[in-house]
Order: sequence, then C-alpha cells, then structure tokens
Amino acid sequence: MIVKFIARRLLASVIVVLGVTAVTLTLMDRTRGAYVPGLDLNPALRPEDIARLRADLGLDQPFYQWYVTWLWNVLHGDFGRSMIDGSPVLTHILERLPNTLELTLTAVVLGILISIPLGVIGALRRGSKTDHALTVFSVAGFAVPQFWLGLMLILVFSVTFEHYGWPWLPSGGVTSPFGGGDIGDRLLHLIMPATVLSFFYLSLWSRFTRSSMLEVLSQDYIRTARAKGMSERRVVYLHGLRNALIPLVTLIGLELPGLVSGGLIVEVVFSWPGLGRLAFERALQYDYTTVMGVVFFVTLLVVAGNLLADVLYAVLDPRIRYS
Amino acid sequence: MIDPGGITQLDLPGPAIEGEARRPAQSYWNESWERLRANRIGVFCGALILILALIAIAAPVFSQFVTHFDPARQHLSDNFRSPGHPYLLGTDELGRDTLTRLIYGGRVTLGVAFLTVALSLTLGTTVGLVAGYYGGWPDDILMRVVDVFLAIPAIFLFILMSILFRPNAITLAAIIASVGWGGVARLVRGEVLSVKQRDFILATRSIGARDLRLIFRHLLPNVLPVLIVAASLGVGQIILIEAALDFLGLGIQPPTASWGNMLTNAESYFFHSGWLVVFPGVTIFVTVLASNLFGNAVRDAFDPRLKAH
Amino acid sequence: MAQPLLEVHDLHTVFATKNGNVKAVDGVSLELNPGETLGIVGESGSGKSVTALSVMRLQRPGKIVGGSVIYKGRDLTKATEGEMREIRGQDIAMIFQDPMTSLNPVFRTGWQVAEPVRLHHGLDRAKAMAVAVSMLGRVGIPTPETRARDYPHQFSGGMRQRAMIAMGLTTTPKVLIADEPTTALDVTIQAQILDLLRHVNRDFGTATILITHNLGVVAGMCERVMVMYAGRVVESGPTVDVFAHPKHPYTWSLLRSIPRLDAERHEPLKPIDGLPPDLIDLPSGCAFHPRCQFKVERCSRDTPVLNRVGETQLAACWVTQSGVELKGA
Repeated sequence: MIVKFIARRLLASVIVVLGVTAVTLTLMDRTRGAYVPGLDLNPALRPEDIARLRADLGLDQPFYQWYVTWLWNVLHGDFGRSMIDGSPVLTHILERLPNTLELTLTAVVLGILISIPLGVIGALRRGSKTDHALTVFSVAGFAVPQFWLGLMLILVFSVTFEHYGWPWLPSGGVTSPFGGGDIGDRLLHLIMPATVLSFFYLSLWSRFTRSSMLEVLSQDYIRTARAKGMSERRVVYLHGLRNALIPLVTLIGLELPGLVSGGLIVEVVFSWPGLGRLAFERALQYDYTTVMGVVFFVTLLVVAGNLLADVLYAVLDPRIRYS
Repeated sequence: MIDPGGITQLDLPGPAIEGEARRPAQSYWNESWERLRANRIGVFCGALILILALIAIAAPVFSQFVTHFDPARQHLSDNFRSPGHPYLLGTDELGRDTLTRLIYGGRVTLGVAFLTVALSLTLGTTVGLVAGYYGGWPDDILMRVVDVFLAIPAIFLFILMSILFRPNAITLAAIIASVGWGGVARLVRGEVLSVKQRDFILATRSIGARDLRLIFRHLLPNVLPVLIVAASLGVGQIILIEAALDFLGLGIQPPTASWGNMLTNAESYFFHSGWLVVFPGVTIFVTVLASNLFGNAVRDAFDPRLKAH
Repeated sequence: MAQPLLEVHDLHTVFATKNGNVKAVDGVSLELNPGETLGIVGESGSGKSVTALSVMRLQRPGKIVGGSVIYKGRDLTKATEGEMREIRGQDIAMIFQDPMTSLNPVFRTGWQVAEPVRLHHGLDRAKAMAVAVSMLGRVGIPTPETRARDYPHQFSGGMRQRAMIAMGLTTTPKVLIADEPTTALDVTIQAQILDLLRHVNRDFGTATILITHNLGVVAGMCERVMVMYAGRVVESGPTVDVFAHPKHPYTWSLLRSIPRLDAERHEPLKPIDGLPPDLIDLPSGCAFHPRCQFKVERCSRDTPVLNRVGETQLAACWVTQSGVELKGA
C-alpha cells in the first residue's frame, strides 16, 4: 500500500524535474548562441577550434537536440562547465552542497523545535495574554525582511560587540580562517545565519501548529479520550499533538522551495559558501552554465525533500497507508 | 413494549437553527464589508496602506513641497548627514536625501508589488478556472506545470531571469509574478472544484447555459472571496521578495531608489550612519506588517469558510 | 427498593455566548437504578447530551452553575478533576454518536479499546490487549485478534460502533451512557447495535442511559424514558405508559406527528406548530406554551414543576396536573 503511494509520488516528482529542466533550458536557450567555451582561458582560439568546441557541446543544434544532449549529460553526472574557467559545474556544486545542507537542515530543526512548543502553548492558552503576545510576535515575524534581519544581527552582534570589546559572533563564512574548524567554531558561525533563516518559518509554523492543535482539540476523539478518564496531558500530547503534527509535515514540505530561496539570501548576507551564494556570484559574472546547473540541482534537492516529506506523511497517517 | 419492528425513523422534528428567523437577510458582500469595517486594526492598517500609496503616487508633489529635494540629486558635501534639518531623515553616501528617496522608493516598491499581484492573479485565476472547470487532461497538464513552477526555489529562478532579461520595474513584476501565479492557480482550482459540486451549477447547466457563461457569471463570483484573501495576504510577501531582489542588485538598479537597493551598500556605513540601514528596513517592515494585518482582517471578514454563525 | 446508582438533582448548565447565556440544562433531575435502562429523548438542542456530559463533567466550555450529581454518595459536581478521572471510563463510561470521528484515526483500534483498562487497572500491554480482544469478540466482531490491529477507518460503521461499545465496557463500568449510538448508522445496523446494547445490559448488568431523538429506539430498548424540551424535563416514566398515554402536550404532539402504518391514508401529518425556543431567551412560564394547543392562562406565567400525573408518570404541565386528559383533533 505504502509502496504504491511512494511510487506514485516518485513518478510525479520525476515529471516535475523534467518540467523544470524544460523551463530552465528554454530560458537558457537565449544565451546559447553567444557562448564561446573556453574563450576566457585562451583568447587565441581559432575559429575552427571554437566551432569544434561548440559542436562538441551541441550548441548549434536545434533546441530539442540540445535539450536531449544536456539531459543525457546530466544523467551521467556532467552538469556542464563554467563559462568562466571551464571547470566542471558539478565539482563546484558538490563542494558547496554540504554547507547549504548544514545551514538548511539546522534552520529546519531549529524552526521545528521552537515553533511546536510555541504553537501548543498558544493553543492551550488560547485568548490569554501569552497567546496574544505569541500572535503578535509571529505576525511581526512575517513582516521582517530576511536580509535586513541578517544585516542588523551582524551589525549588532559582530560589529558593535567587537567594537565594545564584548564577545562577538563571526559575521561570515563557515569557519574561522585561522585556526578554526572545530565543532565549537562551526557552531559559532552557524548561529546567526540559521537563526535568520528560521525566523520567518518560526512565525509561520508556530501559527500553523496552533491552529492545527486547536482544530484537533475540538475533534470528537479528544472528547472520547477525556471520557476514558486519562490525564489532560495525555489527552493533549498523545492523542492531540500526534494528529496535529501531520499537516505540519506537509506544510514544511511545501515550504522547502521558500526555505532554499531564503537560504540564498542568508548565504549572501553571511558570506556562507553554499549553493545559493554560488549561484549568486556566478550570476553576477554571467556564468550561465553554472547558474543553470545550480538551479537544476537545487530543484532536485527540493523535489527530493518533498518526496521525503510525503513519505513521512504516509508513515504518520495510517489513513494514507491503508486505503 | 412497543415493538420497533423494522425501525422506521420515528424521529422527532429536526433542528431548526436557533433564532434564524430574527436575523435580517443580507448579501454576502454587505455582510463581509461590515465585518471588515468593524475590525479596527484592519481598518487602521488599510488606511495606512492607502496613505502610503497616496504618498508614493504623489511623490513629486511631496518632494517639492515637503522635503524640497530631488531623489537623484547628490549633495556630495552634505553626505552622511544625520537626521535633522533640512534633511529630515539624513543623507546617504552621495548626499541624497533619505526621506525623498524613501518616498520615491515607495513608488517603485508598491508599484511593482501591485502590478505583480495583478499579473499573478490574472494568470493564476485563468489557469485555475480552466483546470478546475474542465478537469480531465487539461487539468492534469496545467497542474503539472504549476507543480514545476512551484518546485523551483523562487530566488534562483529570479536570478536566472534577472541576468537574462535586464529588469525594469515592469519586467521585474512579470518575473516575480511568473512564480507566484502557481499558488493562485492551485487555490482557484480548489475553490472551483468545491463550487462545481454544488447543485446550482448543475441546475444552471440544465437550463442550457454555455461554458463561458457558467465560468464567468457563476464560478468566478464564488471564487472571488478566496482571491481577495489571497491577494491581500500576498502583497506583503511580494514586497519582501522585491526588496530582496533589489538588495541583491538583481532588481531595480540605482540611481532609481527602491527600499531594497537603498540597503545594498548601507552595511558598510553602519557605524557612522546607522540610520541608512534602519530607515529603509523599518519602512519595509511597517509596510509589510500593515499589509499582512490588513490581509488578515480581510480574510477574517471575507473568507466564506470561516463564516460560522 | 435498591438505592439509585446515580441521582441528578436540579442540574443547571450554562454556556456563555456573545449573545447571552444559553441555558442548555435548566433544572434537570433524574434517577438511575442499578441495571436499568433509561432513555432520554428530545430534539437537538433540548439539552440531553449536555446533561450526560455534565454528569461526566465534560461539559466544557459550558459551566455547571447549580444542582448536584450524586454517585456513590459523592457529589460529582464538586469532585476534583483527579477524582473525576478515576470515575470516567471506569465507573461511568460514555460512548458517542459518530464512531468515525470519535475514534482517534492514528492509533490502532485494539490499542484504543485497551487504553481504559490499561490506565485504570494498571494492566501491562499484553494483558490489556488480551482483555480488549476478548471484549471485541464479545461485542460481535469476528476475528478480533486480527481486527484489533486495524485502524478505525478500516472498519465499517457498525463494526466501529461495536468497537466503541467494547471500549466502554472493558473496565466493567456500573453506568454506560450512550449518546445517540445509532444515529450515524444505517437502519439495519441500528437494530444490531441496539440488540447488542440490550445484551450488554442483561449480561453485564450495566445501567444504561440511552440518549436519542428517535422514539422507536427508546421503545425497543428502555424500561423508563425521560422527555426533554428546552433544557428541562417535561415528562418521565415507564416507557410503556408514557407512549400509551403521554401526560405532557409535547410528548403527546410528538407521538401524534409521527407517520403511522395504521393511519388513514388521506390523513395529513400533524406537525407541531412553531419553532423550538431560543435557549438564551426562553419563553416565560412553560417553555412549550407558545406551541401548545392545550395551554391555559397560567402556562405563560408560572414555570410548571415536575409532578406525579397518573400512577407511574411525572409531567411538568399545569394542564395535565389539574386532571385534564390530552385528546385532540
């Protein structure tokens, strides 16, 4: 049963990925004509060489042929070469991937760990001052521009603190350039970017948990649970929360593209060497192939993440598993 | 004992809704409007947005009579002035008046935001209506396309598009809308599907109404509330995205002022000219907050699903 | 005469709304003896469910503002929450109307059925599950060992309700309150469930309160019946007597409004005029008087008190208490 469900989702994911390639390549089609591979490296290329290089890469072919060639290459792990220095795009991607994963996963975990308790508190103390305060906080959290929050945090905790001689947080990079690299150092570097990235989602997820909890707590089976004479804690946390978390999984899955997008901004503000910053830097240098490769790869990640969320959802909700 | 035999429904009279006879009949729109007007926070925020929009539209008037500055005009000897007289909110690194730039920036940001919402709604609604109404393979195909656009992390797509098409305000709106329409389409499709089930659609069909008429005169008005809610909630997000793109240098380019690009270089000047970072950021925050709160109020007033008597 | 198992005296439960206080239960008294079946009959909004919930102190967000509920010598309205938790599911069990929504969808059925006996009797998982499986078998679910591992949505409606009943019985409670147990079920399944409840009452000796809006259900199942209207008890007595000669105009009108197989074919149905009252703003005097065809002047002034009318019945009606026979056009 669950296998069928996963198979269906997998198929849908594959179709989406193919669609993404179609969209990105259609966009990239505009630049194909002008691309001269390796020109930066060797300005003395003869026209015949250029023609040969272009033919190798299939740059003069009709669109669909080029599309197929590109797809074929990608399936073999060849994401093309940077237009700046000819280095393989995949290498850059794989270099930066762990950093992006580190940042994104930390932000997600942080977000979940904070928003679930906040949401539950808001639901249990509905209408109270605490609840109102939490609501205000989350409404405000929605409105803060991520990049600005990042800037302000850096300015306060890095620049100002350092200026006054207080212990300060590093403003960029994954580790300290000199003598860093241990776990403590990495953590220090991770705090601010992860906080900024998760900030927006804290607001969203805590409100969502709250309303999900409220809805669950008004269900008949909660009344039944109380009628069976169990403690309120058991009713709320075992019978209630277990149900309330299911839609949250779906929500997080849906928010993955946004999370990765936000990740790019955070990476740029905090000079975090991840995929987002790679795309951004290369975009400024008009390195189309790299940007395209990254966009495709990142979308793959998002789709995979979504698939994971779907699987988790099926695991948590028996109505999906056995139907 | 009375033999129940085959138990027929010897039911007592069913529930009549308490006190229903007393409430005067009101159209959905009137009712929703009244609810909106009763929401003080919503009204306040709505008014605030309106004021901001008016100021933005009347930017030249403002700069002439209130601030007396031109947004692009540089007063190089007066750079990094703190807020005071005559530069009410200070100046930036090139001596341009911050307040004036904020006002003109509002034009850009709000203009792009509203345009994006308009584009996004138009495209999304059309797709959603068609997909929901016709169902079958048009629905499948359209929804796959929507899935594709929703799967790509937006900023990445924007970066790609920004370097391919050098954006001005209008193309920027088109770029941002090119991702946003997906969510609208899904929403509209969902509403159409649920409205489609209702009997009045069947009834209208049975008297021979044609597809187009059905879509426009019957489906669309029922879908409108959800659209209104989505639009009001979405404006805030779009402003944030637009500001982020400008900040990254991929949107509106200087010297045209926008709230986002006013922050691009501000970081390096924080120490001596902190207001350069604070003012544009706070402006964005307040605008988005007001827009979100207004959107919440609109949703509370107009969402048909929340109408519990 | 044995001591009543459960006594409710002049219970008042109120819900605060922005339009005013809804008097959902407005002075209800009842008695339940060991092993007997009592039916509570009324329309939606008559207060029958809230009465039951109030007994269990599950009436939130409503508030019990008056009266008492005596069980085993204790007033439950004044018991602590901890004491109530001991009683719920163990002494007094309640099953609800819609088994699909009343069972938690993410836990296996057997686990849920075993939960009360695990919590109240401290049994370990295996023993509790054994009790649950055995009870599932006794309520008529075939192959209970396998079915216990199924989730609620994998059961049919009737089987689900049987599972709910099993869930209420594992701790062998003294009182079983069934709130509209057959309303959400097909007619043929209804008969089976009622049968089951009858067996349970007989075999286990569990006193049963059956709440319903269906007079036929009461007729087939309950020794005594209590009719509620607008949060008040308007009539009570042995079911046979109440149905044969109702002593309250409401009961009387109800019995006459039901389509009967032996009626003349051309006779129009006789519905009760008017609408049920607003529980925030009840009519003065007798709550039923605006719709009553027997009313006299006193009915709009003084609220009738439940008093003996006839040998075995109680009715809250000035008219019948003064000896008038209910006969009509």
